[in-house]
Amino acid sequence: MAPIYLGEFEYAVLLAALHLEQAAYAVPIRELIESRTGRPVARGALYTALDRLEGKGCLRSRMGDPTDERGGKARRYFTVSAAGLKALKATHGALANMTRGLETILEQS
Amino acid sequence: MTSPSRFAERVLTLVVRDPEWRDGVLGDLREEHARLVGRVGPGRARRWHQRQALGIAVRYGTHRLLRRRTPPPRWLAVAAQEPDGTWTAGLTRDVRYAWRSVTHRPGLSAVIVITLALALSANSTIFSLMDALVLRPYRFEGVEHLVIVATRAPTQSFLDPQSVSPADFREWQEQSATIERWAAYDWWSANLSGVDIPEQVPGFRVSPGFFTTLGVALPLGRDFHSDEGQPGRHRRAVLGHDLWVRRFGARADIVGTTVRLDGEPYEVVGIAPAGFQTPLGAQVWSPLALDAKGWADRRVNDLTVIGRLADGATLEQAQLELSTLIDRQRQDHPETNANRMAEVQTFTKGMADPGAAGFMIVWQAAAGLLLLIACANIANLLLARGSERAQEYAVRLALGASRHRLFGQTLLEGLILSLLATALSVPLTAAGLGLSRTAIPAPLLRFVPGWEFLSVDLRLMLMTAVLAAAATLVFALIPALQATHAHVADSLRQGARSVTSSRGRRWMRSALATAQVALALALLFGSGLVLSAAHRATNGAMGFDKQDVLVAQLVLPDRNYSDPTTRRQFITKVLDRMQQIPAVTAAGVTSHIPAGFSNHRRQFWPEGQDLRESEALYADYRRVSSGYFTALKIPLLQGRWADDRDQPTTPAVAVVSQRLADDYWPGQDPLGRRFKVAADGEWITVVGIAGNIVHNWFTHRRDHTVYRPVTQEASYDLAFVVKTVGEPSALASDLRQAVAAADPDEPIASLAPLEVLVDERAGGLAFIANALGVVALIALVLSVMGIYSLMAFVTAQRTQEIGVRMALGAGRWQVIRLTTAHALRITVAGSLIGAALSFVIGQMMQSILSGLVASNLWQLAGLVVVLAAAALAAGYLPARRAARIDPINALRET
Repeated sequence: MAPIYLGEFEYAVLLAALHLEQAAYAVPIRELIESRTGRPVARGALYTALDRLEGKGCLRSRMGDPTDERGGKARRYFTVSAAGLKALKATHGALANMTRGLETILEQS
Repeated sequence: MTSPSRFAERVLTLVVRDPEWRDGVLGDLREEHARLVGRVGPGRARRWHQRQALGIAVRYGTHRLLRRRTPPPRWLAVAAQEPDGTWTAGLTRDVRYAWRSVTHRPGLSAVIVITLALALSANSTIFSLMDALVLRPYRFEGVEHLVIVATRAPTQSFLDPQSVSPADFREWQEQSATIERWAAYDWWSANLSGVDIPEQVPGFRVSPGFFTTLGVALPLGRDFHSDEGQPGRHRRAVLGHDLWVRRFGARADIVGTTVRLDGEPYEVVGIAPAGFQTPLGAQVWSPLALDAKGWADRRVNDLTVIGRLADGATLEQAQLELSTLIDRQRQDHPETNANRMAEVQTFTKGMADPGAAGFMIVWQAAAGLLLLIACANIANLLLARGSERAQEYAVRLALGASRHRLFGQTLLEGLILSLLATALSVPLTAAGLGLSRTAIPAPLLRFVPGWEFLSVDLRLMLMTAVLAAAATLVFALIPALQATHAHVADSLRQGARSVTSSRGRRWMRSALATAQVALALALLFGSGLVLSAAHRATNGAMGFDKQDVLVAQLVLPDRNYSDPTTRRQFITKVLDRMQQIPAVTAAGVTSHIPAGFSNHRRQFWPEGQDLRESEALYADYRRVSSGYFTALKIPLLQGRWADDRDQPTTPAVAVVSQRLADDYWPGQDPLGRRFKVAADGEWITVVGIAGNIVHNWFTHRRDHTVYRPVTQEASYDLAFVVKTVGEPSALASDLRQAVAAADPDEPIASLAPLEVLVDERAGGLAFIANALGVVALIALVLSVMGIYSLMAFVTAQRTQEIGVRMALGAGRWQVIRLTTAHALRITVAGSLIGAALSFVIGQMMQSILSGLVASNLWQLAGLVVVLAAAALAAGYLPARRAARIDPINALRET
C-alpha cells in the first residue's frame, strides 16, 4: 500500500482522535487541539480535514445515539484506523528523525 | 429565543448532502450553541451559530466541490430519461445538460465567451461614453424642461447658442408665456487676487436667478437677488465647489466674506454643489449687471439664453412662440434684427459641441459592427461544433427526443455562453472606462460636461444584457435551426463514415466568414481614416512652427485696463523684459494662439464690394505684435509686417493671410487694398501678406485671417509667445517674473509650450482615433480567427478525402491548392464587399471630418492586401497540415 502523507493539521486531528479514544467527535477534538496548540481552529477546516482523513482511510466513523442537548441529532464519532495509526507513526518518526540532535536548540525556552 | 438560526441550518443542509455527516455537523453546532446560550445570552449565541454555520458551509462546500466523486452521467442516460417528469423538471434537466455541453469543450467555450465579452464590453464602454457625454451630460433637477434659445442667420448651418442681444432677451422675458423662468450668461475671466498666488478662474456673468432656473440648489448660501443685477450692486459671487476646496480650504464661514476678483471686493453669497461646473467648467459666477443703455443694446449678441418651460408647455410651442416674438422684433428693428431667426433646442442639445454627436455615432456604429463580427465568428464555431454533434443529435432524435427539445437546448447553450460573457464583460467595461478616463487630457475635460457621470451603472448593465440576448439570438439560432433540421437517417449514416459535411452547412459557414472579412475591412478602413486624421491634426503642417515656443496666456481685467494706452504699456513692458531673457530669440504677443480652444471672428467687408450685413463672411481676427510672426516662423510673403511704425495716430493697417488675399482679390495686388471689420468701422489698409496657418483643421480650407497690430488695437486677451533656445518650459519662471514686473497682481492663466497646447487641442480626436483603432484591431483578429477556425475544421473533415486523393497520386501542392482555394474564394468575395462598404464609410467620414481626411484608394488597397494575406495564411496553415498527412493514417482514421 502506498504510504499516506499527513499535513500538519491532519496530524494534529489524528493525534486528538487518539487522545479522546471512544469520545472523539468534532466538538472535543477541536477543543483539544485549541487547548494544546494554543491556536484557533476554524470549524469548517476541521470538518474538511475529518472528511479528507476519512477519505484517505485514516479515520473510521460511526453514529452515536441522538441526544436532547443536540436537538435530537446524533454524534458522529471517529476512531483512528490501522492505516491512520501507520500514517501517524510514519509522520512522527520522520519528525523525530529530523529533530534528533537539535534538542538543545529546540527545547530552550 | 434560545433556538439556533434556522436559516443557517438550512444553508448547511443544502451544502452537506450526506445525511450522516449533516446530522453530525448540525448536532455539533447545536451542542455548542446550547452551551453558549448560558454563557453569553441567546442573542449572541444565535449570531455565533449563524456565523459558524455559514463559515462551515463555505469551507466544506468548496472542499466537496473540488473533489467530485462520481463522474457526471453521459448524455445518453439523460436522453433516455427525457419523456417523464414535469415541465420544470425538464427545464432543470435541460439547463444542466446545456451546462454540461458547455463545459465539455472548455477551450471552445472559453474562446466563445472571451470573443463575445470583448465585443460586448466595447459596445458597453462606448454606450456609456455616449450616455454620459452626449445623451445625458447634465443631470439637474428637471433638465428635460430646460431649453436653449438662440438666434441665427438663415444661411448659418450650425447653431451658436451665444447669440442673443440683451434687449432681445429682455423682451422675450417679458412677453413669453411658454417659458416661465429665464437665465442668460456671458463669459468672464475672473482674476482672483488677494491670495498667495493670483489666479485666473473660469467665470461667468449670469442673470440673477440662474441657479433657480437650472434647478440647482446651492448647498451653502443663496442664488443672486434680482436687484443684484444692477451695476454697483453686482459685486457678489458664487464660488465653484472645487475652487472653494482648493483655495479656501472648504471653510463654511466663507459665505458673507469678501474675495478679490479683478481687483475688486466681491461678497461671497454662495457655494455651488460639488460637480456643478455649468457652463463650460465655470468656477465662479457673478451677476450679469447692465445699465439701461446696456439692456437696450441689440447690436452685441453675445448672451447665451436658457429657459425653463412652463408646466405643460412643449418645446414646439416654445419654438412657435419665440418665432412670433422674433418676427415682430425683425419688423420693429430692421437695422439690427433683419437677419435673426429663433431656434429653441433642448438644453442638452443646445449646449453640446455640434461635432461630438456625429463622432459618437460613428464610434457606436464601429462597435456595433464589431459585435456583428463576433456573432458571425461564434455562429461559425457553434456550427462547426454542431456538425461534430450531428451524430449525437441524430441518436437522440432516433431515441425519441422531440425537435423542440433539441432546439431549445441548443438555444439554452447559447444563452449560458452569453450569460458568462456578460459577466466577464462587466470588469472589462470598467477597465475600458478607466482607460477612457485617463486618455483624455485634463484641459479638455473642462469642455466635456458629463464626464463625472462616466461609470458602470444599472442602465449600462441592462443595455449589455439586452445586447447579449440579441447576440445569442444571432449566433445560436443558426446552429439550432440546422441541428434540428437534420435528417436522422442521413446523419447516422454520415456519422458512420463521414466524408464531407452537408453542402448547406458549408455554404452557411462560408457566408459567415465572408461577412466577417467584409465587415473587418470596412472597420479597418474607417478607423484608419480617423487615425490619419488625428495624426494630421497633431503632426500635420500647420503653417507655423510650434517647436520650442513657450506661451503665457492671460486676460487683462477691464477695471484697471479699460484705457487702451495702459494695455499697450503693459504689453510693451512685458515684451521688453522677455526680450532680455538670454535664451529667448524672439518674443511677441497675440490675442489668440493658433489652434487654441478660443477664437475671435469678425465680419469682413472689402472695399468696393457692396455687401449687406448678412452677406459679409467672417475672418479670424488677431491682434499681434511683429515679434509674434518671428517667434512662430510665419512667413511674410509680400509687403511688410505691421509694427511700431503703426500707432493709434497713423492710418489703420493690417496683415492678412494669403488665402484671404487670393479669395477676395484674385489675380490682383492685395497691398494697399482696404476693408472694414464692422459695417460702421474704419477703413483698414492691407500692408502685408502672411502665410496661411491652420487654426481649425475642420474648416481650415475656407479660413481667412486678419492680423492687426497691438500698437493700434490692444486686446484684453493676451498670449505672450517666446521662441527659446532649448527646452521651452525651463523659462517658465522667467516669464512669470516678466509679467509680475509689469503688474504683480496680474495672474498668468496658463503657461505651457505651444506644442503641448496644440496636442491638447487634438487630444479628443486622438482619443477617439485610438479607441477606434483598438476596436478595428479586435475586429481584424476576430475575423482572421474566424477564417482559421473554418478552414481548420473543413480541412479536418476532409482528412479522409485527402487521404484517398493522395493514395491515388495527388501531390502535396495539389492538396494545398485544393484546400486553400476555398479560403481564397472567401477572401476575394469578402474583400469586394468590404471595399464597397469602405467606400460608403469613406464618404460618411469625409462629411464628418471634412478637411482632415480624404478617401484614399491606396490606403484601401493596402488594407485589402494585409487582410487578404492574413486570411490566406489562416487558410494555408490547416492546408499544409493536411498535405503532411500520411494517406494510410488518413484512411484508417474514422
